[in-house]
Amino acid sequence: MSVRGIVAGVRVWIAGALVAALLVAVLAGTGARASIGNARDRLIETVESWRAPSFAVPAGWPKPVYDFSGNPVTRAGFALGRRLFYDPQLSRDGSTSCASCHQQFAAFAHYDHPVSHGIRNQNGTRNAPGLFNLAWQPALMWDGSVHHLEVQPLAPISNPVEMDESIEHVVAKLSADDTYKKDFAAAFGSPGIDSQRLLKAMTQFVGTMVSAGSRYDRYTRGEPDALTATERDGLALFRARCASCHAEPLLTDFSYRNNGLDAAPRDRGRETVTAKEGDFARFRVPSLRNVALTPPYMHDGRYDTLEQVVDHYADTVQPSPTLDPQLAGGVTLDAAQRAALVAFLKSLSDERFVHDRRYAEARR
Amino acid sequence: MHALSFPVRLAAAGSLAMAAVLLAGCGGGGSAPAAPAPVLELDQVWAGKPFALNEAVTTPAGEEFTATRLRYYLSGFRLRRADGTWFEPKTDAQSSEGYVLVDAAEPASAKFALPAAPVGEYSGLEFRVGVDDPRNNAGAQTGALDPAKGMFWTWTTGYIHFKLEGRSPASPEPEQRVTLHVGGDGLSRTVYLLFATKPLKVAEGLQPTIHVVVDVASFFGGEVPLKLADTHTVMDGPHAVPLADRYVGLFRVDHLHHEPAAARP
Ligand code: HEC
Ligand code: HEC
Repeated sequence: MSVRGIVAGVRVWIAGALVAALLVAVLAGTGARASIGNARDRLIETVESWRAPSFAVPAGWPKPVYDFSGNPVTRAGFALGRRLFYDPQLSRDGSTSCASCHQQFAAFAHYDHPVSHGIRNQNGTRNAPGLFNLAWQPALMWDGSVHHLEVQPLAPISNPVEMDESIEHVVAKLSADDTYKKDFAAAFGSPGIDSQRLLKAMTQFVGTMVSAGSRYDRYTRGEPDALTATERDGLALFRARCASCHAEPLLTDFSYRNNGLDAAPRDRGRETVTAKEGDFARFRVPSLRNVALTPPYMHDGRYDTLEQVVDHYADTVQPSPTLDPQLAGGVTLDAAQRAALVAFLKSLSDERFVHDRRYAEARR
Repeated sequence: MHALSFPVRLAAAGSLAMAAVLLAGCGGGGSAPAAPAPVLELDQVWAGKPFALNEAVTTPAGEEFTATRLRYYLSGFRLRRADGTWFEPKTDAQSSEGYVLVDAAEPASAKFALPAAPVGEYSGLEFRVGVDDPRNNAGAQTGALDPAKGMFWTWTTGYIHFKLEGRSPASPEPEQRVTLHVGGDGLSRTVYLLFATKPLKVAEGLQPTIHVVVDVASFFGGEVPLKLADTHTVMDGPHAVPLADRYVGLFRVDHLHHEPAAARP
């Protein structure tokens, strides 16, 4: 055995010993009646939590819009944001958390819900989008009504059909909770709970959700085998027919457009924000990253499958005064091309992101 | 502190600057101006009589109106020097200092200190009714700008610059509600008030106060009086432009007051 081999062997041994010691410690902590499964989860949780949360720009991506220098990501700040995201106390009756409508396995969209479903079983009017790469988004929501990531949580918290609370009351509730007092003090270095701290902590959590680990990403970073031949055909088609709006690498250009869903649209879309007639029924071009995980589709969740979406672009684009000219008359696609496009869209899932334990609900 | 005042005054006159730096250094006073900051006192009235919430009045258009809430932001204060230049206090993007929320339900909110100004004479005051666009689009804020103050729209981002709510038999809304909220980009308005009769003096030992009358009735007046029968519910930026143009006219200097400053410890 070479010296290098011995060193490597010793390293493996040390790592093994560490894990074993940890397992013992964790098992001891769980008490005699705790199941092994639970202990295993806690072990994974503990090991994963060593990876410090941080914000990093993937290679080749543009500069983010949100500037973390004014809100440096810390372990305690991120942990507090995570706790808040999963805490139903943020709703009036304690029933609904952010995670009720933004589920990790669905890339933080609301799986299988055409429109949001909030407090007291009420439905909203729009589909909950997946949450990732938010730091690059110049404005939030389908119509761009929220201008800044930090203040975004105020919208669902105070929306009567989502969480129906006031930020004032949320701050009062959290201020009466000793464990939150401790968490806020740890996150910001001094005691005190206010809306700014709450919003900054939540931003450390949602703003660091970066998804750039799909097979498509591996392909564009020089691994030709990461995509199958059909998926590569789909990518070529996508670049020719779709990427003018769903621009790489974020798969959106963040513009507001009408992609011809209805001849007489009901939701005024971007017009509600700008009061400009030309913005009627325009919606933000959504990122298509993780799109296979976030059904149903479109601002009102009208399509259940990607096949239906591609058929829409080919067969059912509706003319209306604000229809984007690129889509007038629809996109010509034969059956093989449609299948290739769908195959490509399915290669955009980032399994590592949806399984990243740091973004799952913490065990306390 | 008192022992310091003599050399500090000399330094302000331009001599012994070195001594001032040294003395300020050991006195711990830093470079804070020695003169008391001017105070702005708002006297909210309705056509010459004190304005009160929950009291019925008649608008210039002849409609009955009972205000239940009146709140507005003032910010961006700067003082015009006698020579026409401006004293503009430094602002910090991380702090809400310099933003004031006036609430008719809280009389104490109508009297506040302006940013400390250097010793001298001033001929006018400028400020903004509302919150400037950059701050309107910034992230989470504290103090007067804390969204928990209820002056922040959540369905579309932005501060409500001016909020007047109440009831009027002229309103077709349930419970005769009147809801006038002006907010969002491009809807704050700048007000300039000239000190016509005498300058405002900022000097050591002197407490200057600017008494400003805020005539709420004038919001409803003007060439075309506001009719609550037509304009009773405004809650978004684009429809609020005519209202924003009305709140510029609310403010008028009544008088300036200078009195000896209370001795400071
Ligand atoms: C009742 C369901 C529901 C709850 C609860 C909820 N959301 Fe949402 N969320 C939605 C819907 C629906 C939208 C899209 C709204 C729109 O565009 O009009 C959305 C949009 C967003 C967006 C913007 C995404 C984008 O791409 O523009 C963010 C960020 C977000 N939510 C975060 C949160 C946070 C943080 C919380 C908890 C404070 C939360 N949500 C609670 C349903 C919900
Ligand atoms: C003219 C710009 C434009 C072009 C070109 C375009 N899209 Fe879209 N796309 C949009 C807009 C805008 C939406 C959101 C519309 C809405 O919900 O009202 C959208 C939505 C989608 C969605 C739903 C995503 C979700 O999360 O709900 C998918 C999938 C999609 N497009 C795929 C494609 C494909 C595939 C192509 C090429 C055949 C394409 N798009 C071409 C603008 C465009």
